[in-house]
Amino acid sequence: MKEFWEKALLGPLETLSRNVLAVLPNVLAMSIILLVGLLAAWSIGHVVERLLRVIGLDLLSNRLGVNAALTRGGVKTDPSHLVGRAAYWLVVVFTAMAALGALNLQPINQFAQSFLAYIPHLVTAALILVAGYLLSNFVSQAVLIAAVNAGLPPARLVATCSRWGVQLVAVAMALEELGIARNIVAEGFGIMLGGVVLAVAIAFGLGAKDLAKEFLEQRLGNKPRDHTPDDLRHL
Amino acid sequence: MTSATIPLAPETEAKVHEIGETEILVGIPSYNNASTIGHVVRAVSVGLAKYFATTRAVLVNSDGGSSDGTPETVARAVVDFGAMLISDQQSPLYKIITPYHGIPGKGSAFRTIFEIARRLKAKACAVVDSDLRSITPEWIELLVRPVLEESYDYVAPYYLRHKYDGTITNSIVYPLTSALYGQRIRQPIGGDFGFSGRLAEHYLEKHVWESDVARFGIDIWMTTEAIASGARVCQSFLGAKIHNPKDPAADLSAMLVQVMGAVFALMEEHQAVWGGLKGSSPVKLFGFQYDVGVEPVNVNVDRMISSFRQGLADLEPIWRQMLEPDTVEGLLPLKDCPPQAFRIPDNLWARLIYDVAVSYHRRAMPREHLLKAFTPLYLGRTAAFVLETQGLTSLEAEGRIDSLCQAFDDRKPYLVERWQAPLA
Repeated sequence: MKEFWEKALLGPLETLSRNVLAVLPNVLAMSIILLVGLLAAWSIGHVVERLLRVIGLDLLSNRLGVNAALTRGGVKTDPSHLVGRAAYWLVVVFTAMAALGALNLQPINQFAQSFLAYIPHLVTAALILVAGYLLSNFVSQAVLIAAVNAGLPPARLVATCSRWGVQLVAVAMALEELGIARNIVAEGFGIMLGGVVLAVAIAFGLGAKDLAKEFLEQRLGNKPRDHTPDDLRHL
Repeated sequence: MTSATIPLAPETEAKVHEIGETEILVGIPSYNNASTIGHVVRAVSVGLAKYFATTRAVLVNSDGGSSDGTPETVARAVVDFGAMLISDQQSPLYKIITPYHGIPGKGSAFRTIFEIARRLKAKACAVVDSDLRSITPEWIELLVRPVLEESYDYVAPYYLRHKYDGTITNSIVYPLTSALYGQRIRQPIGGDFGFSGRLAEHYLEKHVWESDVARFGIDIWMTTEAIASGARVCQSFLGAKIHNPKDPAADLSAMLVQVMGAVFALMEEHQAVWGGLKGSSPVKLFGFQYDVGVEPVNVNVDRMISSFRQGLADLEPIWRQMLEPDTVEGLLPLKDCPPQAFRIPDNLWARLIYDVAVSYHRRAMPREHLLKAFTPLYLGRTAAFVLETQGLTSLEAEGRIDSLCQAFDDRKPYLVERWQAPLA
C-alpha cells in the first residue's frame, strides 16, 4: 500500500514539482525581462519624444510640410509623439521576444528566430503602406483640383478612384513584400485593374457618349466649342 | 559687390567692343516673332531718331533660338526716315542681334540685355515686347526720357485697357503690390519698362537667374526689386497695348501658379521691406492721357460662377486648409444665391488673398496645389466684378479698383500679424 502510494501519487507529484522547479527560474526570468522591458519601453518612448521636442523636430517638420502631410493623411498627432510611440512599440516587441526566449522552449525559440528574420519585411511593408497612404492623399488632392479646374462634374469620384488606386497598389506591394499569396495578389490586382478600366470604358461609352462625340468632333472636325464666347485676358 | 561677368557670344563681344559706350539701350527679347518684330524694331528706330537724334543709342535683340527667321527680320528692318520727316538724325543706331544663354525664357533674354547695357555703360535702357502691334515711336521717349532727364530709375508702363482686360492684374497683383510696397504702380507686370543703367547692374547682381525668374517671373520681379531697392519709380502712359493673343488654350491655373507664385516668393524675400510700410500713394505718371473706346471683351459670367460653385462644393475642405474660417464662412452664402446677388466684397477678397499668401508662406499644403486650388476663387471674384461693373464706364470701373486697393491697404495689419505669427 505504501509502495502504491509512493509510485501512483507521490511520484507524479514529485515529477511535477521537479518540472515546475526546473521551469520556475525561466518563468521568473521571463517576468523580470517583461517587467524591465516594459519599463524600458515606456522610458525610452518618453525620453525619445521629449528629446525630439527639445531639438525642435516638430518645428522642423512643420517647416518641411511633414505636419501638414500628416494632417492631410488623417494623423492628428505631432511627429515627436509618433516617433516616441514607434520607439516604445519596437522595444515592447523585442522585450516580448526576449521574454518568450527566456522560457527556453524549442518551438518558441524557433518562432522567435523566424519572427526576427521577418522583421525587416514587416518594416519594409509598413513603410510601403505609409508612403502609399501619403502618396494617395497627395495624388487625390492633385486630381481633385485639376478635375474641378477642368470643370469635370464627377471630380470627387475621380479623385476618390485615384486615391484607392494608389492605396491598392501600395497594399499589393506590401503583401508581396510580406510574401503573402504573391501570385494571388499580383493576379488579383491585374484582374481588378483590368475590370476598372473596362468598367470606366463601358460607363464612358454608355453614359457619356454625347460628351465623347462632342469631344471627338471638336478634336477631329475643328468645330468650335458650343459655348458663349469668352475672350477674357487675365494678364 | 559686383557679380561675375555674364558670357556673351563671340560676335556679340566683338560688336560690344566696337561700339564702346552708349547712352541709350533698347532691348527686345524674342522667340519666333518674325511676323511682328519688324514693326517693333522700326518703331524703336524711329523713336530713337525722332526724340534722341543726337544721343548714342543701341538696339539689342536677345533671341532664344528662333527658327522662323526672327534675327534676320531684325537685321533687315529699315526705316524710311524721310517719310517720317526726320532729317537731322546725327547719331547712327547700332544693332546687336545676339542669342542668349541660360534657362529658356524672357528672364534669361533680359539678363543678356542687362549685361550688354553694363558693358556699354548705358545710362538709360528700355525693354519692349517683340509681339507688340500697337507700339509707336512715342513709347521709346516715354520709357527713356524720365530716366535720362528726370533721374528716375524705373519707368513702369501705364496702358489704356478695357475694364475686363488684365483681371489678374486688376484684382490681385496691382492691389497686392500697392498695399505691400506702398506705391500704386498700375501695371506691375506690364512687360515694357524703362530703367537706368544703375538699376540694370543691380538686377545683374541678384542671384535669381537659375530660378523661375529666368523663365517667366521677370516682369513682377523687376518692378518689385526696383521698389524694394529704393529706386525712384514712375509710370508712363503708353496708350493701348495690342499684341499677339496668347495661346487661348493656356491653362488659367498654370498662369495663376506662375504669377501668384512669383508675387508670394517676392513677399518672402522682401518681408523686411513691406512689413513696416503703411498705406500706399500714387506714383508719378508721365505722358498725355486720353480715353478712347477699346476693343470689347466677351465674358461668360455664368461659366465663371459655375466654376466657383463647383470649387465650393468639391474643394471646400482644401479651401478650409488655406483660408481662415471667417473667410470661408463669407463665401458660403454664394453657394446658391441668384446671379444678380453674386458678390465678393472688397474686404473679403483682400482678406482671402492675404490668407492665401500666409498659407503659401507657411506651406500649409503643396504650393502648387494651393495656387491651383485658388483658381475657382479667382473666377468667382472676376464674375462678381463683372456683374458689379457691367453698367459702369472704364473710368468708373477704375474707381472700383481703387476702392479694392484701399481695402488691401486697410487689411494689411491683418496680413502682417498673421505672417509674423509663430508657427503653431
